[in-house]
Amino acid sequence: MRYGMAIDLKRCVGCYGCQLSCKAEHGTPPGVLFARVLKREFGTFPNTQLVYLPTLCFHCTSAPCVDVCPTGASHYREGGVVDVTTDDCVGCRACMQACPYGARFFNETQTGYFPGQGLTPYEERRYSKENVGVVMKCNFCIDRVKAGLEPACVANCAARARTFGDLDDPQSEVAQLVRLRGGEQLQPELGTHPNVYYLPPA
Amino acid sequence: MALSATPDRVLADLGATFRPQRQWVEGRGIWLIVGHFLSGVGAGTWLFALWLDWRPGLVLAIAAVALSGLAHLRFLGRGARFWKMYRARTSWIARGFVGMSIFLPAAVLALLVPPGALSGALVVLATVGAAILIVYKGNVYAASRGVPFWNSPVLPILYATYAIRGGLALLLVTLPLGGRGIDAHGVGLIELWVAVSAAVMLGFYLGVMRSTNLAARRSVAELVRGRAAPAFYLGTVAVGLLVPILIGVLGFAGPLSHAVLAVVGATSLVGDFFAKYAIAKAGIYVPLMPAGREPVAPAA
Repeated sequence: MRYGMAIDLKRCVGCYGCQLSCKAEHGTPPGVLFARVLKREFGTFPNTQLVYLPTLCFHCTSAPCVDVCPTGASHYREGGVVDVTTDDCVGCRACMQACPYGARFFNETQTGYFPGQGLTPYEERRYSKENVGVVMKCNFCIDRVKAGLEPACVANCAARARTFGDLDDPQSEVAQLVRLRGGEQLQPELGTHPNVYYLPPA
Repeated sequence: MALSATPDRVLADLGATFRPQRQWVEGRGIWLIVGHFLSGVGAGTWLFALWLDWRPGLVLAIAAVALSGLAHLRFLGRGARFWKMYRARTSWIARGFVGMSIFLPAAVLALLVPPGALSGALVVLATVGAAILIVYKGNVYAASRGVPFWNSPVLPILYATYAIRGGLALLLVTLPLGGRGIDAHGVGLIELWVAVSAAVMLGFYLGVMRSTNLAARRSVAELVRGRAAPAFYLGTVAVGLLVPILIGVLGFAGPLSHAVLAVVGATSLVGDFFAKYAIAKAGIYVPLMPAGREPVAPAA
């Protein structure tokens, strides 16, 4: 079992649905974005192009963030999911420096979206003090997956650009997409063996 | 204390092609630089104080490493959990923690117990801890694969050179204060040699980094003409390298006074600190998207 994801760049419309649904699912504070959409403009008018790159933790098979963690807080879970045990994290941020994909975020203080006004009732309910002073990251919504659901970013993708499943199962949709569409990893030369694949737009 | 990165800054950085690392240098991150600086200086001081058989120097080394431990605790998001950092099989931070855990008790006990076999064994143990402290810092940075500028085998050698130099520098400052007579010419020559070595290592490191990948080249640019340039030119190069080397060269013309050697030591320490600061400040993460590309043909 090796959980993985395929993101179809032909289908992605850059709506930020994945980013917002992830924040709603995990109740992450400001500045913490497990899923995010990077946008970049290329060219000069009138020959311009807007390119989207939806990213998240790539749950690498050889995750450098796991190797550098001094406490073992960063670890592999079932299906190769890379996760952080909050209670063991000392907040040294070595994993953030080791991750080539910027998938980890340090939650330095308990701040809300409305500075100077305290936390809203929603924020008070969703933000955990246990997450302050530690590093936070995507865990492929493993609790949802164990309950038979898709990760929030997959379930809420309006364009159905994301496909989640077992990469080790050749019959799974994600494995077939990667195989048939020529799925590409981001920066494979780094040797991290990411388990998130991008399906090229053309 | 300011945050290492405010939420707005995180968002702005995420949108940038070249995302600067801030966690290990800004806000509370500065305590990590202080911690690395002090642990290197302390471990280096231990080695030279042993060589000179100067007990106040050994005490100074212990104090520097102990302060370094406090600085590390100040840096950590959850300092109270520091005792969990023992996973030394793959983590250089854990190895550094093990080194500090060996050094501090062994060094303190070595000074407390009467001279003998036990004291000798404790000195050896403390020296092993000091050696780990000298080696681990550069490797912590070198293990950071997200920051290509640091991800180089040259960096641990550079940091070890700076640690040894820092130890000698602290002794240059404190030996005359302690009323200890020293061979000024000999120590001056060693300092000159180490300073020139550090300069050569730094130049070699930057030269290697300039010819690696895009992010490392950008980091070199940040160091020589970007946001880390003031610290690099003033602290690392001018105060930390040129002044000690110039004074060291002048030492060939005639004997240097203890006061001048103390100045050499102090400037070397400043240079040591700013070398670590500037290299950390120049760190740039691997770009996730290219900066730009050829315009595409408009749709029909």
